[in-house]
Amino acid sequence: MELNICHMYPDVLNLYGDRGDIITLCRRLNWRGIDANVTRLPIGEKADLGKADLIFIGGGQDFEQQVLLEDLHRGKDREIRDAAEDGVTFLTICGGYQMLGSYYETFEGQRCDFIGVLDLYTVGSKDRMIGNYSFTCEEESGGSTVVGFENHSGRTMLGSGVRPLGRVLSGYGNNGKDGTEGARYKNVFGTYSHGPLLPKNPAFCDFLLLTALQRKYGTTELAPLDDAPEISAHDEMLARFSHQKNHG
Amino acid sequence: MNFRAFLAILVCKILRFLSRLLHRGGTAMPGRWAVKICPNLLSILARDVKTIAVTGTNGKTSTSRMIEEAFAEQGLDYFANRSGANLMSGVVTEFVMNCSLTGKMRRHIAVIECDEAASRTVFAQLKPKVILVTNLFRDQLDRYGEVTHTLENIRFGIRGASDAVLCLNADCSLTSSLALDLPNRAVFYGLEKGAVASREKPEISDATHCIRCKTEYDYSYITYAHLGGFQCPHCGYSRQKAQYAVTAVTETRPDGSSTKMQIGEKTYRMDVNLPAVYNIYNAAGCVAALTEFGIPAETAVTAPARFQCGFGRMEKFDLAGGTRVMLVKNPAGCNQVLEFLQSVQEEYILVICLNDRGADGTDVSWIWDADFERLTALRPNLTKVIVSGDRAGDMHVRVKYAGLEESVIAEERDYEALVTSLTKESLPVFIMPTYTAMVDLRTVIIRHVGGTEFWE
Repeated sequence: MELNICHMYPDVLNLYGDRGDIITLCRRLNWRGIDANVTRLPIGEKADLGKADLIFIGGGQDFEQQVLLEDLHRGKDREIRDAAEDGVTFLTICGGYQMLGSYYETFEGQRCDFIGVLDLYTVGSKDRMIGNYSFTCEEESGGSTVVGFENHSGRTMLGSGVRPLGRVLSGYGNNGKDGTEGARYKNVFGTYSHGPLLPKNPAFCDFLLLTALQRKYGTTELAPLDDAPEISAHDEMLARFSHQKNHG
Repeated sequence: MNFRAFLAILVCKILRFLSRLLHRGGTAMPGRWAVKICPNLLSILARDVKTIAVTGTNGKTSTSRMIEEAFAEQGLDYFANRSGANLMSGVVTEFVMNCSLTGKMRRHIAVIECDEAASRTVFAQLKPKVILVTNLFRDQLDRYGEVTHTLENIRFGIRGASDAVLCLNADCSLTSSLALDLPNRAVFYGLEKGAVASREKPEISDATHCIRCKTEYDYSYITYAHLGGFQCPHCGYSRQKAQYAVTAVTETRPDGSSTKMQIGEKTYRMDVNLPAVYNIYNAAGCVAALTEFGIPAETAVTAPARFQCGFGRMEKFDLAGGTRVMLVKNPAGCNQVLEFLQSVQEEYILVICLNDRGADGTDVSWIWDADFERLTALRPNLTKVIVSGDRAGDMHVRVKYAGLEESVIAEERDYEALVTSLTKESLPVFIMPTYTAMVDLRTVIIRHVGGTEFWE
């Protein structure tokens, strides 16, 4: 068995260790004897997104965003939409997550159109939402608890066409107000979680892999792995949150 | 001098005296209060002081110590801020410790290391004679924000010091862009093509696209990370000619390197008493800053050969079969340390201490941008990796996914137990700590095998 993973814009969307998610996807496939073929898709290059089983888009600096949008509007936006509708698994983080929404409105009121794959939009705010945080995934997204690190000034509001990925346990999540974190639509997963997301959240990583393997091979179950260090690092951060809460 | 300044100096001196009485460092706290009382105190005290200021992401401390070495050699009566007290508070404390109660400076030459974000306010008051900017890399994104934001802070700071000569790293497209729209005289230093083996474009680069027009750079060579011979094919922004140019690295040793340095028409031999390419950059920056300050070039080029850095920068301790502490703060610096380990030709133990306190950056995701995958190539000389620090769990997962077998990974969070166990080892030990882990771990190591506290 093998999964084709497409890493979109690794040349610019590579902030906050998101590359760790790719490393983790590959390792956890390889440890189970499944091949992982990673295709890097930098700005300006073409690829057949239809061949991908899992598409990853990370977060980046505002500085490069304009370059990116131009590239997206040269046809990749349509390919992404088709893949999403077709049930391809997407993991999109922070800037990459916002980009799949309808638009971004800066704090000064300037509006920038995004590609509209997900029914959501983002509004810039003055304050950055920074820090370790945690959330519980909805049952349809595996139900596991996730620990991560968020760092964003955009507040994302979900429309009726998407469901939240999870509910915030501590931290801000989508907008710091409605308690939602991330978004889910078909097999598209969007989240603010850097950290990176997957290494310390093996249950979520496996859920994600399963959606792609299920679509391709009808797989319903993954062989268990020894996740002692991952779970210990995960639990340690969770314990920190409850400790912080107890002490106000 | 006005009354506020007098009061600020008095309070600062009293607080420092009390700190030392309590065996605390007191390197920044007294200055914090002084600035509250008299916000422009630094501008008053710095008036009669000629300063070299050093800022940039990596290499500030090592470079500052090299500069000091040359000042000492010249018999100059100078002062310097040390031990990472590089915010406004730390700089002010150091100035007050070198002035009388009436604000008269006892020393008139200084080497001041300045935090990148703090340079925004410090430079305008300090008005340095020379400002050295070492490089810009992604670093503690939760604190500094994006790297272009850090660049803006430095640019803003320099605007307040328009008489300063800028010494800029020619190979860093971000750093050298400071010369584009500042009125200051600027000189450049760097490594010429062929001085070290050029490498592939790194997977993670902090400057792939032109700072001016956002077109992707072409490179004729890359020394490490995004440093090298960059050129924008669209707007023409490119690496400036370096007046202080390392033309060849003639020898690299586990404890240092020998280089050729061209300054004007003359070529000098420059030895660097620390290993790794990034220290050659530090040495070149030091020579540029010293020469622009007025130190003869033939003296300047000898400073990097003599200095002992200490305080966690390749610092040696008589622990186990010899221990080196190598501070790591961000992916670029970390990759350089990992590369240095490749030159080690004997068996050794590696300790990685990851903390996530304020001074380390609360976001530890950078360990995934650092290329720890290189650890697998360090086997079998690398016999064991001990992970430690507040985020030992994260570090454990990182080295596991880098490809190390569980059997060579150990976790030890307690520094006392860690150092005690190391005293029983006969192999050399390399320790990679983040800043606050380094400070705490050093204290424990010194208790066991001797050494000096950081403020001494």
